[in-house]
Amino acid sequence: MRFRRAAACSVLGVILACLGLGAQTARLTPVRALDGRDVRPFEPSGAANVLFFVATDCPISNSYVPEIQRVCRDYGARGVSCILIYEDVDTPSSGSRLDDLVTTHLRDYRYENITAIVDRTRRVAKEAGATITPQAVVIDRAKDVRYRGRIDNFYAALGKPRQQVTERDLRNALDAVLAGTPVPKRDTQALGCYIVDPSVVRK
Amino acid sequence: MRTRLLLTLATATLLGSAAVMSQQQPGARGSQRPGSPARVTFTETIAPILYANCVTCHRPGEAAPFPLISYEDVVKRADLIGDVTQSRYMPPWHAAPGFGEFVGERRLTDAQIASIAAWVAAGMPRGDASKMPKLPAFPADGWRLGQPDLILEMPVAFDLPASGPDVFRNFVIPTKLAEDKWVRAVEYRPSARKVVHHAIFAAVPAGQFAKRDGADGRPGFGGMSSAGVVNSGGDSRGLGGWAVGAQPMALPNGVALRLPKNADFLLQLHFHLSGKPESEKSQIGIFFTDTPPQKNLFTVELPALFGVGAGIDIAPGQKGYTIKDSFTLPGDISIFSAMAHAHYLAKEMKAIATLPDGSTKPLIWISDWDFNWQDSYVYKKPIALPKGTRIDSTLVYDNSADNPRNPISPPRRALWGEESFDEMGTVGFGFEVLNDADVPLFQQALGARNKGAIQAGGKDGTIGRFITRQQRQNRGLQQLTVYDRQGTVVSRVGEPGSYAQATFSPDGARLAVIKRDLDTDAQDVWTFDVSTGKGKAITSDAEPDTAPVWSPDGRSIAYVSIRSNTHGIYRRLADGSGGEERLYEHSSGAPIILTDWSADGRYLCFWSGDAMFVLPLAGDRKVIALGPQEFFGRGGRLSPDSRLLAFNSNDSGRFQIYVRPVAATLDSSATPSASARSQVSTDGGIGGIVWRKDGQELFYLSQPPAQTMMVVKVTTSPAFQSSPPERLFEIPGPIGAPAQLSNIISPDGQRFVFAVSLPAKPPR
Repeated sequence: MRFRRAAACSVLGVILACLGLGAQTARLTPVRALDGRDVRPFEPSGAANVLFFVATDCPISNSYVPEIQRVCRDYGARGVSCILIYEDVDTPSSGSRLDDLVTTHLRDYRYENITAIVDRTRRVAKEAGATITPQAVVIDRAKDVRYRGRIDNFYAALGKPRQQVTERDLRNALDAVLAGTPVPKRDTQALGCYIVDPSVVRK
Repeated sequence: MRTRLLLTLATATLLGSAAVMSQQQPGARGSQRPGSPARVTFTETIAPILYANCVTCHRPGEAAPFPLISYEDVVKRADLIGDVTQSRYMPPWHAAPGFGEFVGERRLTDAQIASIAAWVAAGMPRGDASKMPKLPAFPADGWRLGQPDLILEMPVAFDLPASGPDVFRNFVIPTKLAEDKWVRAVEYRPSARKVVHHAIFAAVPAGQFAKRDGADGRPGFGGMSSAGVVNSGGDSRGLGGWAVGAQPMALPNGVALRLPKNADFLLQLHFHLSGKPESEKSQIGIFFTDTPPQKNLFTVELPALFGVGAGIDIAPGQKGYTIKDSFTLPGDISIFSAMAHAHYLAKEMKAIATLPDGSTKPLIWISDWDFNWQDSYVYKKPIALPKGTRIDSTLVYDNSADNPRNPISPPRRALWGEESFDEMGTVGFGFEVLNDADVPLFQQALGARNKGAIQAGGKDGTIGRFITRQQRQNRGLQQLTVYDRQGTVVSRVGEPGSYAQATFSPDGARLAVIKRDLDTDAQDVWTFDVSTGKGKAITSDAEPDTAPVWSPDGRSIAYVSIRSNTHGIYRRLADGSGGEERLYEHSSGAPIILTDWSADGRYLCFWSGDAMFVLPLAGDRKVIALGPQEFFGRGGRLSPDSRLLAFNSNDSGRFQIYVRPVAATLDSSATPSASARSQVSTDGGIGGIVWRKDGQELFYLSQPPAQTMMVVKVTTSPAFQSSPPERLFEIPGPIGAPAQLSNIISPDGQRFVFAVSLPAKPPR
């Protein structure tokens, strides 16, 4: 799906339709977070927002939980806010409501004090141009998308984890945003599970 | 799949933007294009493929991360399933087609993969619900092969962190069997199914790993040990293994494995971490048979003993490094199973048999080796090979940064060994010798292969390196411990680890020490704050570093590093900032040990063989050799006024501590007279020579075994004089030879630091 979008951009040149990086994002109406608060993912109150697109049942997404927590801890003190955007699909076999699934997931994976959104309609994912879990999107103070892609390069391919992370793309992007310098690599290929339109399972 | 998607898309874009934009909506892909294959549906086409090949693992309670049972389960992952079947990442099966046919092959046909792709492209139609196949019946929980004759369990659970690189851990479980048994099956049951990826079983002599077991304070021990292939004396016995997706399988009729009485069961587990902490306590069910094996069973490894004698030495960055081996059969055989093993750098391994008539039989080809999937391969039909057949194996490795599985970044030279950053490798076969008369021929030929491998591994240093490392691991961990003059513990510095050559900074507030990383074996200079215990790596190079010494102002550290087999002296700032400066290279190739940095900052003192040298830091840095006849000795340390050198020498037949003037030698080429040497120790002295900062005391260590910290009072002006030695305290346990040469005493003579060995097995 990511490739489709990339190819569409280059072939048709409809950059605006592709939510090109750096373009001003449309103002979203507030999104209701799991805890009932209204949050504005694309309007940071501090230096930047990191949106982490995740799913409770995507193994690669889950394997990144500790790094997500480390990033939020390391950059939280520097004015960066983290928001988890859950992209699970409600299916009859999931056996419980999505909110419960996500609440359980947050507890099992020992998240503390983190804002979580259940993106049932995919509104946030579409607005951010996210197609994969896990995927990180960085929004700066000017509401510009400054980074979209993988958290780091731990996975060289599906089923090919590296022994060592050698590119920490998200951290590099955050460092650059905080330093007011250009982000070195603004768009990277995230690896994991596709974000699926929920209508696909209701057919 | 991905390439194809792009082509499809390129075609679509020609039709107009509306078509392209609709491609971005996964839900809007319902229309079938003309010319696509006959209608594939979930119930009639896809579910049967998944039920036959995927749901063994992809169902609740099993190892796979999500179920693939219902239409909803599958349709929401349709794109992913299309990708991973196309790339053949799933189902996981690593033996290439055309090289042997194996029991339990998890492999989709090209037609099945095409059907999945066509179904995804067609918008994932559900189809006629009445055509839905029944889910295969899976055995209920519990032992799959019935009630085992012996159930073993890990004595304590092993806790795993939430994230990080894969974990390898070996667990020792005593069998306490009163007699030898014949094993017909081993069934493995992990408790944390999502994280245990594979298991390897072996029987080892009781107590063989007792010293390593728990040495780091956690159950079991690390390393990818192949059950002690070299040091076991041949008493270790493989008992098979288990990998995700494998079903327990009894051995073929007439085959049994011996489990010697009182053996320890060695369980090696490989864990993938899941993102949350887990805890594993495995159970193993063992099924016995009264019938010893009825067949002449043998195994052959090409190369023998996991390649210990194959001279594996892969340069950093090297791609396509290849080892080969051959075995010519001294009689007729029938091969029933194959295995392959290597670590992360291996890319492929292949074996082909060439028969006496010149025809060939492909035996096995792992075309994209993945350490994560170590299957054992049982042939559907045993392969008969006549006498005179030659089996050839080829193993290929990639030690470049392009290999994402490379455990070291940037790549480092890889030698044979059992750690994850080492390499090894072999292709093995289980076979039956068909004629009883040929059995001695095979025993002889296989024995000679093993013997030859050990000889070759001994000659090129592989086995020596292996044994040294084993001994080090058996020594366990150390704790940096500070003592006072009475030998009472004042403080413990930092965490337990592998330390050597701790040395006090000139203000006594910090330690420089060589710390060995337990995972990578890297040997670097660290500093520790004595009061807070906080440590910091000062070097992080690929080569081993040794013998740190502080500059008198405490701002720099000089150390020895071994680069391309050449010992050199290097200098860095003690806070770890800035770069490294090379001060000297010892051209003879011999090892050197740096022992001192003079109080005036002008000279470094080092020793090689039994000769001592001084390196002036100013000017052209031309090394001054002290001796040899007058200064035959080691461990030289300059007095605070740089006029005297204390050292030890055994030229009297016994190691004693001596002091002699040196200023004249340093300032000109004049040599002091031979009579100037004063003996300080009376009852032997081995090292640990330190001058108190004010020059009024000189410390040293007496000779082992009961090493005692000794002190003498000295006057240096007008001539050197010393009092008879006094005992301070006996040092705690053995310290290695290089440690004796470090500055183990604070400049005020009040504090003493040793890396004290911790008990091999901490109390649980």
